[in-house]
Formats: sequence, C-alpha cells, structure tokens
Amino acid sequence: MVFVDLLISTLTQGLIYALLSYGVFITYKILDFPDLTVDGSFPLGAAITAVLLVNGMNPYLVLLVSAAIGALAGLATGFMHVRLGVRDLLAGIITMTALFSINLQIAGSNLAVERAIDTIFTAEPTMALLGSMSLMYRKFIVALVIALLVKILLDLYLKTKNGLLLRAVGDNSTLVTTLAKDKGTMKILGLVIANALVALCGSVVCQEQRAFSSTMGTGQVVFGLATVIIGTTLFRRFGFVKGTTAVLVGSVFYKICIQVAISMGLPANLLKLAMAVLFLAVLVLGDRKKGGAEHA
Amino acid sequence: MLELKNITKIYNPGQVTEMCLFDKFDLTVTDGQFVSIVGSNGSGKTSMLNIICGSIPIEGGEVLVGGKDIAKMKDYQRYRSIGRVYQNPSMGTCPNLTMLENMSLADNKGKPFGLSFGINKSRENYYKEQLSILGLGLENKMHVKLGALSGGQRQATALIMSTLTPIEFLILDEHTAALDPKTAEIIMDLTSKVVKEKNLTAMMVTHNLRYAVEYGNRLIMMDKGGMVMDKAEDEKKNMKVEDILDVFTSISIECGN
Amino acid sequence: MKKFLAMALVLAMATLAGCGSSSDEGATEGDSANANANVPVIGISQYGQHASLDNCREGFLLGLEESGLVEGTDYTVDYQNAGFDDNIAMQIAQNFSAKNVALMCAVATPSATACYAAAEDKDIPVIFTAITDPVKAKLDTGNITGTSDKLPVEAQLELIRALQPEAKTIGILYTTSEPNSVAAIEEYKEKGPEFGFTIETIGVTQQAEVLQAADSIIAKGVDCISNLTDNNVVGVLPSILEKTNDANIPVYGSEIEQVKLGCVASAGIDYIALGKQTGEMAAKILKGEATAEEMPYETISSYDTYVNSQALTDLEITVPADIAEKAIEAAN
Repeated sequence: MVFVDLLISTLTQGLIYALLSYGVFITYKILDFPDLTVDGSFPLGAAITAVLLVNGMNPYLVLLVSAAIGALAGLATGFMHVRLGVRDLLAGIITMTALFSINLQIAGSNLAVERAIDTIFTAEPTMALLGSMSLMYRKFIVALVIALLVKILLDLYLKTKNGLLLRAVGDNSTLVTTLAKDKGTMKILGLVIANALVALCGSVVCQEQRAFSSTMGTGQVVFGLATVIIGTTLFRRFGFVKGTTAVLVGSVFYKICIQVAISMGLPANLLKLAMAVLFLAVLVLGDRKKGGAEHA
Repeated sequence: MLELKNITKIYNPGQVTEMCLFDKFDLTVTDGQFVSIVGSNGSGKTSMLNIICGSIPIEGGEVLVGGKDIAKMKDYQRYRSIGRVYQNPSMGTCPNLTMLENMSLADNKGKPFGLSFGINKSRENYYKEQLSILGLGLENKMHVKLGALSGGQRQATALIMSTLTPIEFLILDEHTAALDPKTAEIIMDLTSKVVKEKNLTAMMVTHNLRYAVEYGNRLIMMDKGGMVMDKAEDEKKNMKVEDILDVFTSISIECGN
Repeated sequence: MKKFLAMALVLAMATLAGCGSSSDEGATEGDSANANANVPVIGISQYGQHASLDNCREGFLLGLEESGLVEGTDYTVDYQNAGFDDNIAMQIAQNFSAKNVALMCAVATPSATACYAAAEDKDIPVIFTAITDPVKAKLDTGNITGTSDKLPVEAQLELIRALQPEAKTIGILYTTSEPNSVAAIEEYKEKGPEFGFTIETIGVTQQAEVLQAADSIIAKGVDCISNLTDNNVVGVLPSILEKTNDANIPVYGSEIEQVKLGCVASAGIDYIALGKQTGEMAAKILKGEATAEEMPYETISSYDTYVNSQALTDLEITVPADIAEKAIEAAN
C-alpha cells in the first residue's frame, strides 16, 4: 500500500513536471537555445496562479492565463536575443533576473492558497468525473490528462508546416533564410511556446502545492535539461519514440530516482551528487551510442 | 534580369583595417545566363554573391532585380526569388529531418508555413520525380535523415531543394569545392542539367577553371573588386583553360600569391 | 558494446530501484520487529541544514521526551532534510503521506507548505516550527499548528538602548525579496522612534551586494547595526563584522548563532526552547489530548539575551548589571 501510494504520487510529480520538460525540449533540443528564462517563467506561472486563485478565478482559466503570461516572458528573451542582439545565455539571464522582481510584485511576497479555494484538482468538472476518488488519485489522473493532452498538441504542432520550420531553425538556420523566412521570428516563436509551457507547469505545481514561493524556480533549468537529456539519450536507439515521449519519461524517471533516494534515506546533501552521477552516466552512455551510430 | 549599379562595399569602415572592396562596381546579368565567376581569394567573388543575397550590407549602390531595387530588403525577403547552394553541403539541408521533410520544407518556400500538415502526401511522388533527375537513387531514401547521407548526396539534395519552387536566380557559391573530384564532377553535371531543365539564370563562383570554361555561357574573372575578364556566348565557347590560366597567373603574381 | 552499456544502465537502475523498495520494506519490517506494529511514525521534514533549524529539531525531540513519550515505544522518527530545495521538500512530504505517518513535523516555511499540501488527502496533522508568519503563509487554519519564530523587535530595541544610551541611528541590511526581512524592517521603523532611534536601511537583491552595502551603511555614520535573520546577510556576517570592528560600530545579532560569530549581543529566540515548545504541542496531539485543528499556533513566550563578552570589551560597551545578570554568554 505504501509502495502504491508512493508510486502514484511520484508519477504525479513526474507528469506535472513533464510540462516544463516539454518547454526545455523545444528550446534546448529543437532550437538549440540554452534558455535560462525557465528559472523565472516557472515561478511566474505560479505567482499568477496564486494571485488569480485567491481572487476567485476559475482554476482552469488560470492555467490558460498563466501560460499566456509565461509566453510574454519567452517573447522578452526572444526579442532581446533576436532583435537587440543580446547573446542567448545573457538574454535568458536578464529576463530571469527581471522576473524575480516581477514575480514578487505580482504575488506581493510568498503567497499561499487556502484549502477552501478550489484548484483544478478539486473544482468542477474534475469532481463530477473523479469525485469518488481520493485526492491523490484525482491529482494523478488530472496530471496524466494534462501531460498527455499537451504532448499530443505539441506533437501535432511539430508536424505542421510551422512546426517543421521551427525544427529547421534549430537544425540549420541558414536553410530557413534561403526558404525566405525570418529565422529570428521563428526563434522568438519557439521561446514563446516553451515559456508558455514552463509557466503552465508552474501553474499546475502552484495549484498542487497551494503555494507560490519566490525561490521555487531555482534549479528548474537544470532539472529540465537533465530530463531532456536523460529522456532523449535513453530512447536514442528507438527512432520511433517521439522526443516529447522521451522527455515525459525522462521527467518521471528523474522524480522516481529522487523518491528512491529519499526512501533509501540518502541525505539531501548527497542527493544532488547522486543525481549528478546518474546524469553523467546517462550522458556518457548516450555519447558512446552516438559515436557508434556515426561509425556504423 | 539582375543589375548591380555603383556598388560600394567597404569592410570595417572607419577602422584602421578599413578596406574598400568595391568602388562603383557594375554588373548586368540577363535572363537565362549561366555565369561562371573565377578569381583569386579576396577578389570579391563571394562578397558579390553576398551583396546580391543581402547577407552583407553595402555602403552605396543599387541591386536591381527586374528593374526593382532590392538593396533595402532583408536577406530572407530576397530569397523569395533566389535559390542558393553553399560550399558546405550541410548548409543546404536539415540533417535531423528526413528527405521527405526536407523536400516538404523546400516545397513550401514562398508560402505562409501555417498550421496545416507539413507533409503533403500527394506531393511525395513529385518529390521523388524531382530527385530521380539526379540519378542517385535518392528517391528511395524518403524517410532517411539527411545527416545519414554523404556530402555529395546532401549537396545534390540541396541543389534540388533550392530549385524546387520557381526562382529567378540560382546562386552557386563554390558548391563543388568541398566534394571529392568524382562527386564534384557528378554535382557539376547535375547543376548544368537542372539549370537547363528549369531554364534558370545562374551565377556560379568556382575555383575550378575547367568547370568555369566547360559550363555556362558567360565567364567573368574578378580581381581586387573589379572584372578583369568578361566573355559571353561565342567568345566564351571558344575559350580554353590555358587562356584564362595565363591571365589568372598574372594577377595572382601581382597579388604575391 | 552499445548493448552492453545499455544493459548495464538498465541493471544499475533496477538495482537502485530494488534497493530503494527493499530498504523501504526493510525499514518497515525493522520497525515492526523492534516494537509494536502500531508505533506511530513522526515524519520530520527539515528544509535544510542550518544551526537554528537543527536546534529546532533537537528541541522538538526534547519536548516529546519531556512530555513523557518514549522513542521506540510511543513513537519513531523518520527524519528527512530537503537541502534547501523546494522540489525535494515536496517529494519528502509525499513520501510521508504515502507512508501514512501519524504526524508531520515541518521545520521552516517551504517544508511546512509542502507537508500541508501532501497531508490534505489523508488529513494527517502537521506541526511546524521556525515559521515567521503562519497567517501570511495560510498555515493558521486546518489540521495544522506549530510555533512561530518572529523576531522580538521590541526586546532588541530595548537591549540596544540599554547598551548604547547615546545611540541615535540603527543601520539594517536586508534582502528586498525576503518577505520576513521586509516585515521586520517595517516593525523596526514603526517601533524605533519609541526608543529614540532613527532606522537607516539598505536593501540588496543578492549576497554579492551585501559587503558593498555594509560599506555604505558604515559611511552613513550609524551608531550600530542590527542584524535580521536574512539569509543573504547572515551568510557573509563574518566579513561584515571585520568591517564594522574596524569602524568601531557594534553589530547586534538576532539569535545566538550570530552572537557566537562575533555580534555583541542579541535579544533572541532560543531555537531549542522553540523546538521544545513545538514538541510539547506534538505530544498533546499524539496522546490525543488535543488536535492540531483546535490548537492555535504559538509564538515563543520568552526571549533570552545573549552576549559576547569579548566583542563587548573590544568595543568598550558596558552591560548594565540587571541585564548582565540574566544574559547568557554565547561565545563559549
């Protein structure tokens, strides 16, 4: 019973954070853009969510608003990089730094959402459909639905003409120019979509934890990169597995590893080291596979 | 028709390293011409292509296409009517996309790239047909990622992709230089075939004097931002490699090469 | 080679996962072998390792003991530390919830928020400590209670007045994004004039700016500096003290650990006592005498005065006899 409960709640975490991994997947893997905005746009989504929930907005609508405002964060980074010529890492750092203040302005300070206020896990129509379940299972199902829905939408988008062009920007931006398209606009679009997803993740996390804290963004870029790299590396040999599926599994895998470490009683100070070792192992393994493929 | 009028190009303006490459440079290319351009390094061949495509800014002059000045247009806007194949075979294709996806991208050039499906299955046969012109069997590799193909195969694909939609100019920027001699030969043959078949106006920069003589119907030799030789039609037909080699050697010696 | 490596990875992961679950089972089995199967488990989630937070936890365990509960027969402890990572705090809380612990004890706000969220489903009581403002953190209603470590601003002002009767201005360095610091500054500004003080503050946004801010506040000619529990500032306290000692400006701390580092004195919270108070509350819940829902959160009832005699002597400050009598020497 303990095992099942632990598994369900850990899977739920993995599914929720997969939204962030999708975002990092777009910037890092598709656009080849190391986007540090994430550390700011994740709490941005949470800050907006906390404020709007407290003010009585429908929690589902809150998800959409958070994503839309997260998109603006991506727009800021993209604009700075593409139109003002700021280097990619620096553009992300500038937006992230600014967002730290902006998030506190939005939420006032660290902000909690009382239990009396409904979240996506407790509001209609979730209750009508899943009301008979315990909150833990409800959270799991809602997280699963959101993670899969976003994945399917993203997969569909990447198959459209526009999505194809986005993939081309990261792959060979020169070609995009010769296709008579502005690669800068596409880069900005990619950052907009990515940060909308990251803020959406922040919104779901805020609804789940019922709190926004100004420091909750710290380390999210690293988490995102780790899950993208772990996911895509683990599935590199299976060409038919989509990138989005790979990072979804990467996110779940990461959260499971942490939970295993906690259950083993590994001290938190060693936990990061253990994750670093795991990360390195997957990376080295992936590179060897890549080398092998190229020699084949 | 393409006209370059009074082009002035200065590198590093206002700095100690300031270098004036073009000073009131003029060139007219009429429709249907296939111009081969030779010249030593730094003579301005590639700079000229970059000026036409808008990859580098100019200090003065006009770039006219069909009488319309495009000098103020952004590079990507100019490519609506220009196709380009680069020296580096990986510049013309997306390595992580399949042949089908690459061809679909090229097929949509000039269209809005909206949210309809990127791959139009009904066009697949057309792509195969186009690829079969090459005679390299690429039409059977529709689901292979371009990164898995050889440099020659990628360059051949880039050639087809750059000419898949109607364009006014084809720019070939030393596009055989990075290939082995045998593949280079094949790509040159294909280029000539494609240009003829699609009735294109083309400008080709090359370091291979034999290609310059054998292919195309006009030959230009450049040196220090000016033309030192310009032969078209019959004059060009009767030229031999030795004829231009003499001129080439003499300017190279002047340069101290 | 590829296959071998892939297999090795899969095996490694399986072993890791296996270890996890087996040690998990081992732990529960061990517990039931040691004592009755029904010994309630207290899950302690501490936000990170930090002297004050450690003291809270120690005090908490002491409070349980002093209330007559015996570890092993009356309760067992599952202690986890999040290493100052909000996400790990969340997973720790879920771990406790899955194990259906009898009570969660959360040390510091992020851990408390995480525990409270994870406890919602099973309605597990949560008891917190080292939280400055439980009302603002919305941790004041529901099946939750605990103790607050709000700074005793008035006691501190009184202490400074007693030690430096001539002083006019107090300088304070703080991080603008730390809500606790901002709240404390407000209180200082409100109550300072009552004791005849003007408050000079300089806000920073990150630790790298603190020493520069220290230079400017010294240059402003403040008579002393009062320190908050601001993490960025406390992190570089020894360097600040070097500067202030050169300038002959006394620095007052906000808790014993800061006085140990060289602050002259502090009207501060005894975190062990705070933890003990929390432990006593937890014991009531475990014994069934009260529920977390019924009990309001508590603030600490008494403050201690800590002094560092060496620092006081160096800065030629004399401590009035009535204070010296009660003061606790922190430097030893």
